[in-house]
Amino acid sequence: MSTTAPPEVDEPTVDSSEPSPQDPAAGTQPVKIAIGVVGMVLTMWLMANSFLAFAYYPQWFGNRIFIGLLALVVGVGGAAVLFFFLNQFVEGLPRRLSEGLIPYAFLLPGFSLVVLVLIYPTIQTIHYSFANANSTEYVGLENYRTIFGDDQFWLAITNNVLWIMVVPAITVAFGVVVAVLADKLSATGEKAAKGFIFLPMAISFVGASAIWGLVYAFNPAGQAQTGLLNAVFTALGGEPQAWLNISTGRLNSLLLMVILIWLQVGFAMILLSSAIKGVPEDTVEAARIDGASEVQIFWRVTVPQIKTTIITVFITVLILVMKVFDIVYVLTNGRFRTEVIANLFFKEIFANGQAGQAAAIVVILLVAIIPILIYQVKSFREQDLAR
Amino acid sequence: MTSSSMKRVVLLSGSAAVCLALTGCLQNPNASGGGAGGGQGLDGFVDGGTVDGDGTVQILGAFGGAEESAFNESLAAFQEESGITVEYVPDTDFTTTIQQRVGADDAPDIGLFPQPGGLLGLAQRDKIQPIDTFLDYEDLNRTLITGFLDASQLNGRVYGAPMRMAVKSLVWYPKPAYEEDGYGTSPETLEDLTAITDEIQGDGTAPWCIGWESDQATGWVGTDWIEEYMLRLHGPDVYDQWTSHEIPFNDPRVVEAFDAFGDLVKKEGYVLGGKNGVLNTPFAEAMNPAFEDSPSCYVMRQGNFATGFFPDPVQENLDERVGVYVFPRAADGYEGQPILGGGDIAALFNGNDDEAIEVMRFLTSDDFGAEWASLGGWLSPHKTFDADNYPDETTRDMAQIAADADVFRYDGSDLMPNEVGGGSFWAGMVQWMDGTKTTQQVVDEIEASWPE
Repeated sequence: MSTTAPPEVDEPTVDSSEPSPQDPAAGTQPVKIAIGVVGMVLTMWLMANSFLAFAYYPQWFGNRIFIGLLALVVGVGGAAVLFFFLNQFVEGLPRRLSEGLIPYAFLLPGFSLVVLVLIYPTIQTIHYSFANANSTEYVGLENYRTIFGDDQFWLAITNNVLWIMVVPAITVAFGVVVAVLADKLSATGEKAAKGFIFLPMAISFVGASAIWGLVYAFNPAGQAQTGLLNAVFTALGGEPQAWLNISTGRLNSLLLMVILIWLQVGFAMILLSSAIKGVPEDTVEAARIDGASEVQIFWRVTVPQIKTTIITVFITVLILVMKVFDIVYVLTNGRFRTEVIANLFFKEIFANGQAGQAAAIVVILLVAIIPILIYQVKSFREQDLAR
Repeated sequence: MTSSSMKRVVLLSGSAAVCLALTGCLQNPNASGGGAGGGQGLDGFVDGGTVDGDGTVQILGAFGGAEESAFNESLAAFQEESGITVEYVPDTDFTTTIQQRVGADDAPDIGLFPQPGGLLGLAQRDKIQPIDTFLDYEDLNRTLITGFLDASQLNGRVYGAPMRMAVKSLVWYPKPAYEEDGYGTSPETLEDLTAITDEIQGDGTAPWCIGWESDQATGWVGTDWIEEYMLRLHGPDVYDQWTSHEIPFNDPRVVEAFDAFGDLVKKEGYVLGGKNGVLNTPFAEAMNPAFEDSPSCYVMRQGNFATGFFPDPVQENLDERVGVYVFPRAADGYEGQPILGGGDIAALFNGNDDEAIEVMRFLTSDDFGAEWASLGGWLSPHKTFDADNYPDETTRDMAQIAADADVFRYDGSDLMPNEVGGGSFWAGMVQWMDGTKTTQQVVDEIEASWPE
């Protein structure tokens, strides 16, 4: 294919050899076009082969640090050179076309990257969800039939719904309360309180799960209780409980949610706090003069003015919750009816090697997230319009 | 000539540029020699792993902590002699990680598989070099405990060789307290053992120390118990049929094994902490309550590696503090004394790296492990291994128990496909223990999860 293509590259040269002032091809510079195309091809070829050489023949270059530096030079420099030739090529085109094309030409590399790392994998995942465990043969809707017939899947769905109902709402509620209360403290008090609540944000999900694993730890009655919760519970006269095994009322799932809330309240608080500080003092002042109580001021003056931030935080946490994985994986791995979609997906693809079913599971997750994403984009747009 | 034809030209020249750039690229000089399928007639070599000939061999394994340092110590002299640096990477989530890394073409040079199931899956996909291309199979088979290599066999070729042995059918007890109270130490049959535990329970203590908790792998201890019962009640032939799926997982004989184990573990007052104790006690800490001044439980069935997890004061004085006897045969089951075991199997991902091959040769020989043996918690899979290297009588006892067994069988869940042996069987044991599902439900679900 590539051997037949080059003549077509030269075509514009032929076309523009007889230009007239009224011709749409006015301003065509065949030399520039040729330089641009040849330059782009050469640059791409050089870049591709340099990177392949780094991978296949590391011995040519000596040590790894040198390869890293060289890769940096080739990558950044190559991109700059590529843009230069791209610019040459577009400038060589007829003026009218060139002006319209320039922004797209410069968007192209970024856009192709998005296609490569986002759109392509998404489409491939949907594609593979109709194929077998090794993605070698189509099986129709078999994967969907299997997962819909699996009660682990339904368990995961109901658990995810529960997570969605509980975590974002509580996170935002706590965030608002903390932000409002901290706002009323002295400057140092506010800083300290906020810093304290923000602290868990710095801990990874896995680290937080390990910490809370110790809080929920169980030792048989009569043994020393190493778990904080059981230590308190037995000190109050209770029998030690295996907290993470108790699926009655989905208690164990709720206990796992506590961890995520603990991690995310800081994030909600920071955003909401800045929104509250943005509420014009005169509106609050006016309400106060009109005799409104603090509670009334909060509900009728502050909340309506920070509503957009509340929605943003809510949706950000919501999307995070739909993808929740680490906490469940570390603490229960889905045992005792705590399964969630992301963990089920992980199990299917990495433990069971069922690529088809795993793809089907994430497609369902994707379908569930899309409406929320659309709503979020919409509300962002409305927010921009309101400004 | 309109601007639309111009656009077409632009598009065409653009795609021509991409096509040009994509052809004439370098090809991978050491593309995988696999693709011959099923191990038969694999002419080339499997070429995963890290860079060849760089003096470093990367090994990925499941064990960390004390075992990791003992492993490194056992390799110290070899590294000095050969000039090869061995880089051991521990990963408690090995079963998952190895699949991910091989899938991403980022395999280690050597993998130490705690389960042949995962190994055979990768061998099927031609990711592992068969050992006959670089080891003397006959020699190896002669010195190893009989039948050990069969576990890593696929289509007539062997893909891994063991570098340590685990003996699982052992019952541990805290020697001073246990002997002071006069409980029996040589039960002939399971019924004798039940009589002993009845006696302990009658004295007001839960006899069994049982802990299953093992992070992502929780449940494997339970599968060992079921295997012990399968082996004892129905003998090795049925056991082999069961692990190779010639009989279904929900066969009545399997249900029988579950029920027999249920009589032991689900009996009120016979296990410390009841079902919650079983499910939440880390397997490594299960026996700690037995070493208290007045033990809260007395006996634990666990593999030889348990010694590595005992509290320090116990480890320092192992022969005095701990006793061990074999988990006995069933009176009305298989006639001989069966032993359940296991072992880490070394498998080579980098078939054309002489250094990796040299490390493999050493790891799977009976020269390997003298240092580890002397540190305790390790048994050589070789009959020819010098027993003087073991640090204490307890370890020599265990080696003897393994040697005396009438039949040795590999851990069944390790032989089953990973979906079952490292997935639904584990999960099923937890649900069964927790009581969320009945025996029949659990075995039916495991049967349904068996890949075709």
